[in-house]
Amino acid sequence: MRKQLVLVLLIVLSLSVLVAAQEVPTQGGTFRYGTTINPRGMFNPILYTEQYDAYVIDVVYDGLIQIDANLQPQPKVAKAWEISEDGLEITFYLHEGIKFHDGVELTAKDVAYTYRTILHPEYTGVRYGTFNMLVGAQEYKEGKATDVPGIEVIDDYTIKFSTTRPHAPLLSSFGYGILPSHLLEHIPVGELETADFNLHPIGSGPFKFVEFLTDQHVTFEANEEYFFGRPNIDTLVYQKVSQDTIPIFLQQNRIDFIEISPEQYLQVSDMNHIDIYVYEALSYSYIAFNLRQERFNDVAVRQAITYGFDRQLYVDVIREGFGIVANAPMPTASWAFTDEGIDTYDYDPERASKMLAEAGWTPGSDGILQKNGERLEFEFLVPDGSRLTEQMALLFQQNMEDIGIKVNLMFMEFSAAVDRVDAREFDIFTMSWSLAVDPDPYGIWHSTSLWNDPGYNNPESDRLIELGRQETDMEKRKEIYAEWQRVINYDLPSMFLNYGVTIGAINKRVQGIDTEPGPYGPLVGRQLLEKVWLKD
Amino acid sequence: MWRYIIRRIVLQGIPVLLGFTFLLYLIITIAPGSPVTHLRGVPDLDTAVIAQREAQLGVDQPFLVQYVRWLGDIVRGDLGLSFDSARRPVATLIKERMPATIILSLSSIVLGWGIGIPVGILSARYQYSIFDYVITFFAFVGISIPSFFFGLVLLYVFALTLNVLPAGGFFMAGEPHTFLGYVRYLLLPAMTLGLSSIASVARYMRSSLLEVLNEDYLRTARSKGLRENIVIYKHALRNALLPILTLMGFMLPTIFSGAVIVENIFTWPGLGSLAIQALNERNYPVIMGINLMFAVLIFLGSIIADVSYAFADPRIRYE
Repeated sequence: MRKQLVLVLLIVLSLSVLVAAQEVPTQGGTFRYGTTINPRGMFNPILYTEQYDAYVIDVVYDGLIQIDANLQPQPKVAKAWEISEDGLEITFYLHEGIKFHDGVELTAKDVAYTYRTILHPEYTGVRYGTFNMLVGAQEYKEGKATDVPGIEVIDDYTIKFSTTRPHAPLLSSFGYGILPSHLLEHIPVGELETADFNLHPIGSGPFKFVEFLTDQHVTFEANEEYFFGRPNIDTLVYQKVSQDTIPIFLQQNRIDFIEISPEQYLQVSDMNHIDIYVYEALSYSYIAFNLRQERFNDVAVRQAITYGFDRQLYVDVIREGFGIVANAPMPTASWAFTDEGIDTYDYDPERASKMLAEAGWTPGSDGILQKNGERLEFEFLVPDGSRLTEQMALLFQQNMEDIGIKVNLMFMEFSAAVDRVDAREFDIFTMSWSLAVDPDPYGIWHSTSLWNDPGYNNPESDRLIELGRQETDMEKRKEIYAEWQRVINYDLPSMFLNYGVTIGAINKRVQGIDTEPGPYGPLVGRQLLEKVWLKD
Repeated sequence: MWRYIIRRIVLQGIPVLLGFTFLLYLIITIAPGSPVTHLRGVPDLDTAVIAQREAQLGVDQPFLVQYVRWLGDIVRGDLGLSFDSARRPVATLIKERMPATIILSLSSIVLGWGIGIPVGILSARYQYSIFDYVITFFAFVGISIPSFFFGLVLLYVFALTLNVLPAGGFFMAGEPHTFLGYVRYLLLPAMTLGLSSIASVARYMRSSLLEVLNEDYLRTARSKGLRENIVIYKHALRNALLPILTLMGFMLPTIFSGAVIVENIFTWPGLGSLAIQALNERNYPVIMGINLMFAVLIFLGSIIADVSYAFADPRIRYE
């Protein structure tokens, strides 16, 4: 008996030694994070628009909340929050003792400054629409009021936001980095855009900004006083790498992490010191139909075209398997995704032909379908620059020819293509969307929305979208969005091509990563940079 | 001489630059695409914000108003603010990247001319020798290979396979700043950019020298018993170099434009990536600033070529 106990103890002891040996992180070292585009130098969380500026902002600032690997809001500067029964008020309780990099304490005043500035009449950024449902926001924006009653500082560590209507997506918008009001409040809001602060940011995040060298790198040092614990690495570098040289930079150990393209996958997967992770992204590609045209206004035509295009072949061969065939605009990575009751429109050219015939389209003398003297021939607007997209367009053209539809390809530089889309001068076009954390599809699919390029207008869809953003119970919201996906999956205002996947290449010396990554990858965006450590 | 230079600048330079900037501004504003395209997809954006942004940038105004405004700023020495979200001064954006571009261009010129001229001379000196044929062959190869392809080949050999040179960048953060360190990063891009100029300079030098070698005064020099080396290096070379000087003036812009592509491959922090990004985003002030600067450089280059002509050739005098 005693012997056995000793044995068990021994095993437990040796196990714990093993575990300890694995889990004690080494301090020090430089982590090099590769990017193909360098930041612009707008390191201000409420003014930036370029993603690469966000990379800097992510590690220099902390927000009230942060979004975890499962896309759920988690406490950060706010240790907790409370949503009122009617869904109209959110109260955040802040940690005490969080300090900005200059040693000044972060309080509710700084939070209020950050969000009030977004609503200011002279604010030059683009985030007003995200917070315009706060009580008094509109009056303040229009200069009719001097304060926003919807942002209320209760005490140094408590702040309450109130809205005019329940707005479910709002909570996940509170991740914006909190600005140090003591350094900025003397600058007129209209001049914030050109303030030197934007190039020398001071936040309360895990890393202190050191240097930004245009088109070369940005360097940071660990924030020794970081409230949530000093990062394990000493130095963080965002290293610019040209697309062509990514594999060589990985090979030469010049970067520890970078996102690579499907074309580079094979080359990089041969490297023994590199691990590759493939994870589902919050994005989808599509071919949009111009529903303002009579032929595309017929749902049978849109469905037939979808049946007639071999999207599985496109994903398997052209994308070399890096993608997931999409049937609705809700990526698999989102918590709101459903495949229940969703038609998959598997490739079936015969069915496509039959549907077109039923819709009144008959082959003309040249084999092209026609109806009332109008040929089923249209222009496909394709932004150039991506080999994958160009090949997809060629496959589409070929597939359409097989069912009697003539497609004329129109390759165009991206900005010029967007011009045509904005002017609604297109028959069909292809692009893709990267989505925010919250699944609210209002901005792209509501009939009144700016980015509703196809001109989709179905009252049932609008109703569900509006219902979804008012419902604060996540399970109920999920149901609403499932229903909405079934509606749009039938209507197909756009043909959904594929959900994106991201490929991340990471050096094996990097420890403490998420090895089963969600949409944000093995570093959960940039969040785990404060936790990772380097094994030599 | 000075009167000539001033006359060229005032009577020729200013009208040319005015016409050039007018046309360029016209073309970029007519071209489809808008400076606010990058706002596409910003969540919860409303049209008022887009309109507000356009007004801030001044792109809601007609072309002439925009151009005159831009010109007025230029006269006061202000290149304006970039259209991207960071709104940094165009002059700063250019200044930050200028050194890298100049270093790369100058070293490729030194490489191109330093190797091209002697090779061309030897090639002419030993015309129709095996050396000449080999050089001619490689010169054509050098002229025909696009620089991005040659750059990738160099990368494959020296960075990936041999792993002796870095694959790009100016220097790495954290590395000590040493002269040799910089040279290591410079070598591959400079070779890539220099290759085509080595080839064309060698070809020009060869044919220019051959042409001179048939002149009467060289026959005279030979007939009075001078050694061939003295005939060539003392009498022929100076005359043969004249057309090459003009060539230098003309090649300057090609070297700068070639740098754009090479910079992109080698992550070289010069003006190239800024120029391409500005074009893609319809960032008018940046496009105008970079092109104005190049136009001025090219114009100065042509003046320098003409003036150096006068120094090299006593028959030419500018009044």
